[in-house]
Amino acid sequence: MHRRAAFLARTFAFALACVVPSVAAAQPAEPARPGPAAPAGVPVAPPTLLSDPDVPYPDGATGDATVIVVLVVGEDGAVRSATPEGADEPFLGAAAAAARAWRFEPARRGETPVAARIKIAITFRAPVVKEPEPEAEPEPEPEPAATPGKPAPRRPRERPQEVRVRGAREPGRTVSLSRTEVRQIPGAFGDPFRAVEIMPGVTPIVSGLPFFFVRGAPPGNVGYYLDGVRIPLLFHVGAGPSVVHPGLVQRVDLYPGGYPARFGRFSGGIVSGETAPPLDRPHGEYNLRLFDAGAMIETPFGPKNRGSVLLGGRYSYTAFLLTQIASDTLLDYWDYQGRASYDLTPDDRISVFAFGSYDYLGQRTATQTITLFGTEFHRVDLRYDRKLGDKGAMRVAVTTGFDRSRAQEDRYVRDRVLGARTEWTYYADPRVLLRAGTDLQVDSYDVQVVSGTLAPSVARVASYFPSRTDLAFGARADAVVAVAKGFEVTPGARVDMFASDGATALGVDPRLAMRTEVTQDVRVLSALGIAHQPPSFVVPVPGFQPGGLRGGLQKAYQTALGVEADLFEAITGTATVFHNAFYDMSDPLGTSPPQLSGCAPGTFPTDTLAGDRTRTSGGFGGGGSATCGVPRFPPGTIGPDRSGGGQQGADSRGTQTAANAFEVRTRGEAIGLELFLKKKLTSRIGGFLSYTLSRSTRTYEGRSYVATFDRTHVLNTALAFDLGKNWRAGTRFTFYTGLPKAPDPTDDATRLQPFYRVDLRLEKRWQLSRTAWISGVAEWLNATLSKEAVATTCTLGGCQAQLIGPVTIPSVGVEGGF
Amino acid sequence: MRVSRSIVLSLSLSFLALGAGCGSSVSDPPAPPPCDEACKDGVALKALRETMKLAFNLTLQGKPVGEHDETTPCPLGGSARVFGSATSNALQGATEVKLTYVLTDCRYLFKDDDAEDNYAMMISGTMTQEGILAVQPSATSALVMKGESMKLIGTVYDPPLEYAADCPIELGQNGNKLTGKICGRDAFSDL
Repeated sequence: MHRRAAFLARTFAFALACVVPSVAAAQPAEPARPGPAAPAGVPVAPPTLLSDPDVPYPDGATGDATVIVVLVVGEDGAVRSATPEGADEPFLGAAAAAARAWRFEPARRGETPVAARIKIAITFRAPVVKEPEPEAEPEPEPEPAATPGKPAPRRPRERPQEVRVRGAREPGRTVSLSRTEVRQIPGAFGDPFRAVEIMPGVTPIVSGLPFFFVRGAPPGNVGYYLDGVRIPLLFHVGAGPSVVHPGLVQRVDLYPGGYPARFGRFSGGIVSGETAPPLDRPHGEYNLRLFDAGAMIETPFGPKNRGSVLLGGRYSYTAFLLTQIASDTLLDYWDYQGRASYDLTPDDRISVFAFGSYDYLGQRTATQTITLFGTEFHRVDLRYDRKLGDKGAMRVAVTTGFDRSRAQEDRYVRDRVLGARTEWTYYADPRVLLRAGTDLQVDSYDVQVVSGTLAPSVARVASYFPSRTDLAFGARADAVVAVAKGFEVTPGARVDMFASDGATALGVDPRLAMRTEVTQDVRVLSALGIAHQPPSFVVPVPGFQPGGLRGGLQKAYQTALGVEADLFEAITGTATVFHNAFYDMSDPLGTSPPQLSGCAPGTFPTDTLAGDRTRTSGGFGGGGSATCGVPRFPPGTIGPDRSGGGQQGADSRGTQTAANAFEVRTRGEAIGLELFLKKKLTSRIGGFLSYTLSRSTRTYEGRSYVATFDRTHVLNTALAFDLGKNWRAGTRFTFYTGLPKAPDPTDDATRLQPFYRVDLRLEKRWQLSRTAWISGVAEWLNATLSKEAVATTCTLGGCQAQLIGPVTIPSVGVEGGF
Repeated sequence: MRVSRSIVLSLSLSFLALGAGCGSSVSDPPAPPPCDEACKDGVALKALRETMKLAFNLTLQGKPVGEHDETTPCPLGGSARVFGSATSNALQGATEVKLTYVLTDCRYLFKDDDAEDNYAMMISGTMTQEGILAVQPSATSALVMKGESMKLIGTVYDPPLEYAADCPIELGQNGNKLTGKICGRDAFSDL
């Protein structure tokens, strides 16, 4: 292990001395409580950590630190107490907070669970070294344990056996990324939610656009949550930074299928973010970039720092910049976050969490400003948390919110949100963790679209969004049961009831997950479940929830089986095979089979003057163009008189077909293999490799075809390395297969050309004081200026790939914290 | 217009449900305005052109390029003879024609929600047609048609209005626009 490291949040656990009765005798300062049925002389098996051992590097911290945490693990595997020592804040607090939430397989004497006292060493490594130091030095020999009453040692004083603590990834989850790691991913701009695109199972639509297909499910079927509160719009202006300040997000997890029962109402996947817990000292973070600036600050208050207040936000000055370039264009966005919490007692906490976002795109004319796109949302979540002793915890929360999206001619959709939820976890038995909860949400939609001025097909789509009140109520429960040592089963279910515009529906979602330890370093994880979801819009947009449950609920059957292994050099790897089946799926993006842009030579557009509407070659699922007719006459014969093909202009065929795609329900299927290898990006040399091999299909009216956004291979790999002198560099390579290609008489290829890009990142950090730091960060998404093929365009002269881009985003900025 | 991923995507990203089709103006059908003589002539012009189109497609469509002389019964009675030359370029989707149409009590009708699309007409007379019939948008129909003595009897408009003409007719077509003279009166219509 190297002291000079640019490591962040690298956690090792040195467990030791599993000190149960017999061992405790050798450590009078740390007496262990004997198990009630512990026969003397029988060897004691130490407790095994079941929880994820990663402890994020605390915000505002600097340098490396090793915290020794003395844990008392009860017979039920719960952590009765966690006493940190050996370092300073905020390391102590971060380590203790994480350890208290851990769950262990209890120590055993024979077959009898017994209480145990253990010591665990958690090592934090700073992401960038402060000063050059000598190359690697040997790992210091641990020293004997501290003597009670004496100052806490800086290092463990007992000689621990180094044990790589085995993590317990939830079976339904693929990858979890801490924010400190995300900061090192080139092209993610430090944004945890943008980093979702590197996770296995995720298929991008277009490079740089943060909307994804997840295991074949469209973007509208993927739910985004922050601390259990759904986020209606995740990215500013559709493609910009996320609407939550990155400094507030501690980690982001992706659940692509078979997710725990606490997640529901989305049939495609869940992206769940967690905010960082309050610290007991003032800290903050800020950033200044070409396009926006943001800051976040948090400070404790009250006796013994029982309370804390956090404020954060971001403001874009692109409106000002754009004005200098295009004076008739307005682009503006901002977001805010606020959090306050107070510990009423050691077991009771109340808190309020508010966040929101505003986006606006407009055009100035001589007389007015026209709104092209405007959307905003606001959420306030009031929570009461109570610890149920060592047995569990509960939360009661009430959420209110307001969503609004606007478009031209004062058209708008508003949604007033009121929700409530309860969450409860309880260890009914040392081997059984019960989890249950309920949630209720009422959405009052107020819609103004002036349908009389819309084209008929668009008006038909608009009719899916009436003013109304929707109601959704869900109840769920599951149990994490340690059936035997190394074998854990989690059966569960949730039931959701939906009511919208006079229609009702019921979704019953059973879930089952299993985790089996094959060896100490290898685990087999499986998850399967059913998920229901009301009809969805193309992508998440505040207020845009189709009403009336027309077409019924979408349903997904999700199954996955994977292997997780701790490999050499602190590398972890996973391999997962999955199969998802979707029924009554609303997927406007993937429903239409690939089509040519323009008509292939020798075919005729059917919506033009000369078009032949009676000879189209297909429709949805037809594998061909719905709007190009085959020639009625071969060369050498007289062609038809098509004068007056008609229907030009009033409602173009393209708009009609897009509208139809919105209404169509299809059956979908996705099958694939996911590989993920990671060495923490915060390591001196870290990186990851994420690869997905998959195939996604749709079936409509009995015809099956490859989904429009299917990509056979998706590869993301990144390397981050410490250059020394507080310089850190990273590069990322992205490759994916081209989209399915429409049949084209001039080309036999079945797919568009593949896409690749390289992203770069370079950071220089200066340590201003013990806690304050500042960094200069240069980042460049698509430094190779690669263009991406999205369709095939045909003219009389032939067909060729329609390229967009290069979509490239250079960014230079300053980040800092204290 | 062609639907594609980009259309569907832009539909969502730009809130098509609210914003698209703003330029359209499809609203509840108003009460039909009165149809004066010019209006009736316009509908009659359209009836004549569409009857010729029908005759062409019934007789020459799909035949080898070159000289032809074909006769077909009209759907509702009467007959149509088409003779002359037609040469098509399949790649460009254009057909060059120099044809003569002899209509003998040829009956045809069309019903539609649009009042000015409706007619039921019996047509007799000889029309000549020269120019280009477009099949693809890259080639625009450009035709000149003339009849020295054409007889049109029937109804136009909805509700139907009596119509009768027995006189020379001149007709030009540019794209889907028809412009001509019926009995010396200017007449216009769209196909």
